[in-house]
Amino acid sequence: MDFWGTTDMPALLHLRPFAFPAVLLAALEWWARTAGANSDALAPPTLAAQAFARALRDGSLLSATAFTLGSAAIGLALASVLALGLGTMLGLSRRAASASFLSVEVLRPIPSVALIPLAMLVYGFGLRMEISVISFACFWPMLVLTQAAVQQVEPRLLEVSMALQLGSWARFVKLVLPAIVPRLFIALRLGVAIALVVAVTVEIAANPNGMGYALMIAQQSLDPALMLAWLFWIGLVGWCTNALALRLQSAVARRMGDLA
Amino acid sequence: MSDPLLSFDRVAITLGGREILSPASLTVARGEFVCVIGPSGCGKTTLLRAAAGFVAPSAGVVSRGGQAVRGPSREVAFVFQDYGRALLPWRTVAANVSLALEAAQVPAGKRPERIAQVLQTVGLSAHAGKFPAQLSGGMQQRVQIARCLAQQPQLMMMDEPFGALDAMTRESLQDELARLVRDEGLTVMFVTHDLEEAIYLGDRVVALRANPTRDKPSLAALIDVDIPRPRSQLETREHPEFLRLRRELYGFLGHH
Repeated sequence: MDFWGTTDMPALLHLRPFAFPAVLLAALEWWARTAGANSDALAPPTLAAQAFARALRDGSLLSATAFTLGSAAIGLALASVLALGLGTMLGLSRRAASASFLSVEVLRPIPSVALIPLAMLVYGFGLRMEISVISFACFWPMLVLTQAAVQQVEPRLLEVSMALQLGSWARFVKLVLPAIVPRLFIALRLGVAIALVVAVTVEIAANPNGMGYALMIAQQSLDPALMLAWLFWIGLVGWCTNALALRLQSAVARRMGDLA
Repeated sequence: MSDPLLSFDRVAITLGGREILSPASLTVARGEFVCVIGPSGCGKTTLLRAAAGFVAPSAGVVSRGGQAVRGPSREVAFVFQDYGRALLPWRTVAANVSLALEAAQVPAGKRPERIAQVLQTVGLSAHAGKFPAQLSGGMQQRVQIARCLAQQPQLMMMDEPFGALDAMTRESLQDELARLVRDEGLTVMFVTHDLEEAIYLGDRVVALRANPTRDKPSLAALIDVDIPRPRSQLETREHPEFLRLRRELYGFLGHH
């Protein structure tokens, strides 16, 4: 029997991953209340928890979260539709793929954040600007993944569709789409992670809305407790959405993997 | 030969700079079962693909019912050798057959009846709800044949359809196919590398030669099979004519 009591106290075992963060939080609490009492950067976790509770009560937490998640979702949806359409075209036609190769390779590496000034000029502040940058960021990896997925559709199936004279829409819906669904969900999971990161980045850098902006305001008004509360919350939201996307992807892979 | 359904008029095919098929002329009559044999790489499959409109000949004309073939048509069904890849793994047996009906825009209400009918023909009625991966190779190939039948084609192109199956399954499918072709009045072009299969199934056997030259063109021989039908695995294969043809064609498969 070791220190944690593996044999007769298995419940404690589940707490093991939390031990280190708990020690860290306690250390921060102690430091912030003694040596760092005048710090403008860090606040004791207990005060951060109180700030969190206040933000939750006054509704600012929910409205900011809804804005960020909403724009991330809309941006991702837009990128998915475009990437699915264009990726299918590029995947099915070698001519289209070679014609677009250069454009894709030039546009793809542009850091999405570098597009914020342009997006601001075009759309001003607000939802549309944020959505456009999120879509741009999510579009490229999803395009490349969709194209690769379509290129890997069994060529024999495409010949079958030729022999049966399936129309191009029917071929897409009945043949290509079901064949690439498991890979599409991998692309979607990747897109979810990118969308959230870019949404918060745009809010920190430019857009006066959402969780990223709330984080900036807390920092600029020298409220480290509230800033830490937002930081914790953004981390938690990111972890939850990614975990959900991952579960969705593996559920689809399990279902379709049996058949494909 | 009075009613040619399919005709090849000096058809040559060059792929990647190599002449796969040197000019060959051939007609297939309505209701005829023509087998194509030859060593690997002699252009058997290419000939079939040209007939189905998948590849355009580099010279000459393929015509069907008097019209030049310009592309694939629902009148021509194609049975691929690799049934495992030609079926939609996410669709059930019935839904795989349904694909042909959906392509032909048969109204949804009329599909179940037609599906049940072709599945009955190939003996798969009991497996309509299964997925391809749950079936044996022979049964999967039957699904593909059923899908082709659902197309109601004039012509059935079969590219070594039984090549990947074990001997027992192959023999029973040969007999089923012969019965089916007779019952449905189908016209078939059947590619195989199995000489005995070609003689057993065919009304005529076309032998192709690999690496054609000017004095040795692709089309090496055209042989009529005068063996009565219905044929049977035991008696037909011991028929004197069967043995004679087997001996005659033996050389074309690269046994020298």
